[in-house]
Amino acid sequence: MTIKELQTDMNCRAVWNGWEDREVTGAYTSDLLSDVMARSEEGQVLITIQAHKNTVAVAVLKDLSGIITASNRPVPDDMIETARDEEIPVFVTDNNQYETGWRLHELGGF
Amino acid sequence: MSTFRADLHIHSCLSPCGELSASPRAIARSARERGLHLIALTDHNSARNAPAFAAACRSEGLAAVFGIEITTREEVHALTLFPTVKTALEAGDEAYERLESEPFDPGFFGDQVWVDENEEIEGMLDKLCILCATDLSLDDLGPWCRSRGGILIPAHIDRPAFGVLGQLGFLPEGPFEAVECTEPLSEDLTDPWPVIASSDAHRPEDIGCRCLEFEAPEADFEALVMALESGKTRALYGNK
Ligand SMILES: [Zn+2]
Ligand SMILES: [Zn+2]
Repeated sequence: MTIKELQTDMNCRAVWNGWEDREVTGAYTSDLLSDVMARSEEGQVLITIQAHKNTVAVAVLKDLSGIITASNRPVPDDMIETARDEEIPVFVTDNNQYETGWRLHELGGF
Repeated sequence: MSTFRADLHIHSCLSPCGELSASPRAIARSARERGLHLIALTDHNSARNAPAFAAACRSEGLAAVFGIEITTREEVHALTLFPTVKTALEAGDEAYERLESEPFDPGFFGDQVWVDENEEIEGMLDKLCILCATDLSLDDLGPWCRSRGGILIPAHIDRPAFGVLGQLGFLPEGPFEAVECTEPLSEDLTDPWPVIASSDAHRPEDIGCRCLEFEAPEADFEALVMALESGKTRALYGNK
């Protein structure tokens, strides 16, 4: 599954457009950024409700393929700006983290 | 009794998000220019700039407090403040030791360096001091800090990122010597603790943008703690 397919299939909204499509190798769900730092793996998409610019920093450092903020969490402007600068795709979904993970499993097979 | 102004939450070039220009000297100079009397250096999970900060404050005639902004295992930021360089260094080194982090490429945030009195770089940290957490819980931190003669103040409790209210949804029992807010909060959220305001500056020009006024016979750590205990402090949010 690629980021573009993920966006279409999961019906989630991109907070900025123009990112480069790439392969999504899996997913990681956590709201503790230190846990994401310690245990996420390159290429995974992060499902979280921590919608702030530090989340983008983690995605950059861990080379994650994107961020899905679940439960319709508002994404602050400085997060959008950082995501655009760092070219990290960020999506918002109305689904909660469990539903998002479950749908990703159904659609992406991971 | 006199009225003094303190900024108890300031970052230097040792913090990954702190600018390289934020040397202890630049911090002390800026604090004096902004009319502060007492300042605390509170880098993330390390106090390695404390010796240079002490020297810089001495030459600017400011009272210095030596702190660490610790990331707890709940990912809550908490200020731990100490009266001496030695205790802060020991506490800071233990916090750094307890930080779960692989060595990281400093690319994204920039280097985390500490300097000597003459602004010469003495060393740099290779664990990433933000985004990673120590294994200390917020409950552990009170005794951990007080056994070293320090005080504990949960930082920016009202901020969505790394504030205790956002992380836990409530303020734990404590005890705390104070809580730090970035804007006036309802007392329901902060009771029974005194409220402080501070800049959380990562650039020297932001120092003192929020600060704490306290009444005391003199500006030093003991007097500050007494003022907090006896309700002789006032948080100033939009300072100039
Ligand atoms: Zn903080
Ligand atoms: Zn801070």
